[in-house]
Amino acid sequence: MHMADALLAPGTAAVMYAASAAAAGISIAKLRKEEKLGLEPTAKRLPTMAVAAALVFAGQMINYTIPGTGSSGHLCGGMMLSALLGPYAGFLSMITVLLIQCLFFADGGLMALGANVWNMAFYGCFIGYFLIYRPIMKSSWFAKKGTNAATRIKIVLASVIGCIVTLQLGAASVAVETAVSGITSLPFGAFLGLMLPIHLAIGLIEGLITSAVLLFVYETRPELIKEAQQGEEVKNRFSLKTTLIILAVVAIIVGGGLSLYASSNPDGLEWALFGNADEGYSENMGLDEEDFGISSEIADKAQGIQDSTSFLPDYAFAGDEENPAGTTVSGIVGSAMVAVLAVIVCFVGGFFRKKAKAASQQT
Amino acid sequence: MNKAQKAMLEMREMDELASMSSFVHRMSPLSKLMMTIVYIAVTASFNRYDLTGLVFMVIFPVILYQMSYVPVSTCFIKLRGILPLILAVGILNPFFDRATVMKIGSLEISGGVISMITLMMKGVFSLMFSFLLMATTRIDELCQGLRKIHFPRAITSLLLLTYRYSSVLLREVSNMTDAYHLRAPGQKGIHISAWGTFLGQLLLRTMDRGDSLYNAMVIRGFSGEFLYAGNKEYIRCSMIMAIIVCGLMILSRFYNIPAIIAGVFIK
Amino acid sequence: MIRFIDVSYSYPGGKPVLRNINFSVSEGERIGLIGANGAGKSTLMKAALGLIEAEGIILIGGTAVKKDSLSRIRQLAGFVLQDPENQMFMPRVIDDMVFGPVNYGMTREAAEKEADQILEKLGIPFLRNRYNHKISGGEKRMASIATVLMMDPKVIFMDEPSSSLDPKNRRMLINTLNGLENTLVIASHDLDMILQTCSRVILIDGGEIAADGKAFDILRDRALLESHRLELPLSLQTI
Repeated sequence: MHMADALLAPGTAAVMYAASAAAAGISIAKLRKEEKLGLEPTAKRLPTMAVAAALVFAGQMINYTIPGTGSSGHLCGGMMLSALLGPYAGFLSMITVLLIQCLFFADGGLMALGANVWNMAFYGCFIGYFLIYRPIMKSSWFAKKGTNAATRIKIVLASVIGCIVTLQLGAASVAVETAVSGITSLPFGAFLGLMLPIHLAIGLIEGLITSAVLLFVYETRPELIKEAQQGEEVKNRFSLKTTLIILAVVAIIVGGGLSLYASSNPDGLEWALFGNADEGYSENMGLDEEDFGISSEIADKAQGIQDSTSFLPDYAFAGDEENPAGTTVSGIVGSAMVAVLAVIVCFVGGFFRKKAKAASQQT
Repeated sequence: MNKAQKAMLEMREMDELASMSSFVHRMSPLSKLMMTIVYIAVTASFNRYDLTGLVFMVIFPVILYQMSYVPVSTCFIKLRGILPLILAVGILNPFFDRATVMKIGSLEISGGVISMITLMMKGVFSLMFSFLLMATTRIDELCQGLRKIHFPRAITSLLLLTYRYSSVLLREVSNMTDAYHLRAPGQKGIHISAWGTFLGQLLLRTMDRGDSLYNAMVIRGFSGEFLYAGNKEYIRCSMIMAIIVCGLMILSRFYNIPAIIAGVFIK
Repeated sequence: MIRFIDVSYSYPGGKPVLRNINFSVSEGERIGLIGANGAGKSTLMKAALGLIEAEGIILIGGTAVKKDSLSRIRQLAGFVLQDPENQMFMPRVIDDMVFGPVNYGMTREAAEKEADQILEKLGIPFLRNRYNHKISGGEKRMASIATVLMMDPKVIFMDEPSSSLDPKNRRMLINTLNGLENTLVIASHDLDMILQTCSRVILIDGGEIAADGKAFDILRDRALLESHRLELPLSLQTI
């Protein structure tokens, strides 16, 4: 699910960066606040967060055989990290996992990092934790079966549901971000139809792996699974109110940013959502495309911003719509010349490199 | 060789490339980071039908690879990380976008084909450049640079520590995987009965490692901030050079340079 | 230099690990801390460094180990962990070496100069700019000792310094240890190494001091060692 730079327009990437940065900022502030309250200094958490991140990164190299099939599953880790470290520390750890993957393995691009953090870390750590994992773990479900058995069932349930839901959200986000970027001709619906079923299976497997690991930890060191501790709830540190505020803030950033961006992009979200106007989708859906964003005041402002920064893809630039591929003869000839030039640069560079090597060996 | 071991080798290779010395290696990390971001943004911002304009962008990484003595071929193995999604999106393009936009002789090329090609090119180009950043910059230099622009230290410190321990944990995973398969011949992966214990055991050991790591850190006075040993001299005007290069990149976004070059010859 | 007065410790809600420990160590002494697995050696060292809060009084160089004196204590006492991997958390050896002194206010330049001297003294100047994850086990051990020496501690605690070293590296370690002027407390199962480096041995069992005396006397006492789940050092066994 790692997105490449090529799938995102710079504007979309920037919006996703802003959203992820906001979530990271909140997380850091939360950890600092806990430090001030004397709960646990960030400096003390740092080593554990780092080794846990390294563990998730290394754990992704393990192949898990899926029974009954020849294929194998992997771990993504967002849910596991937030169950063990808490959502805020877990989110920061997940960011580092994605950073290492991006920097050293090119899994996901540098510009797409914001989107990747959002799709893979935010949902797993925040939505998965606050809306699924914690409510289930704190619930009194299955109480009849005894504390131990109830906790075990709840761990499995929370991990599986959490992983499935967060992966679906992530996969849907990939489709939305790609559509908003106007990078591809692939209709939004088709892309979504491609992504969701695949990630349903992946989410199920990941949920099972996560629950297996958490169950093992619960049996050997129950103190590591904080939500399973009975009775001694210190104080509800992450109240529902904070959760809702966080969600609202990020939702505004993402929703606002994306719609601003989309409304000024001719190939934007409304194209994706309502199909091509030529084919009459928007009429069929009873929506007038003209009223959807493009002519709104915000969109005008966005257009203004875009004009002043003038960095986003717009048909006004190099390729004009009438002749989109720049199909002039000179364009093609020029491209060929560039290719030849690139090859020449490589040869010349190789020549000097060999010379430098020979010189360094002589000395 | 198992996957963890391959990943270890890959990280090691990046380290070795980054420890070399060249003009690009000696540029300051921030200047390289800026070039990378501008390059990727410019590349990604090309219209999906603007094939000829995009072609020119290849010149930037190619020249910088030569200047940094990093072989271009080394970056292509990294493509496997991003390729699946790009392919999934790209290959379907020709089926949905059939309008002819270009004719070479009698061959009609549809918009979908063009946009598929530009998508692939964008993927490869931006990968080439970000690979170059990491092949010429050590992670500690990068973190040091990021701290200079007040990037939160929680993340840089975490990144540095995680980087350090990912090789340790990769080795553990690699050893455990080998040990598992030695006693479970014929199995392709970890059997479902060991799903929890395999990673769980490692997880418990890792949490303990976190504790002793903290001990080792506080004993030497750690208070939250890493201080970096700076013994590398950067080229003084590397920021100015980077700005010039970025300017060139942005220029080539607005002017179709291949067409202009060819226009001089064809009249 | 080190004084333990009635020190006890038990893990939260668990059984006692240290019981009424009393001993003192004078400056420049080299103490071998021996005992079977789980005897309490590591706990004792952690208590001395203030990594755990034990009951009783512990003095390092005249300063009591308390919460508010920790920063002073950690300048006086260094700790070489059993697994150098846990100790070397920075990317390169040099980064790790300057980590401590810089935290205590030394300038980076001065710290690097100091680091060069120590690397020279230990005979490992070639490790300076190497990556921590790319050096061998023996090199890691030497480098981790170097990082602790950087703090210029009066006392150095070591946990199993000779573990997983080949004979040549082990010999080099012993020579290095014998060349140090600092007060040393070495916890180890490698009784031969203790015999070659330490003048005095403290034997712990079940969280209590079972014997305290000259290294040569204790390590030769087969009955004493065997009653505490240990064996004679190889070099003293008659075949």
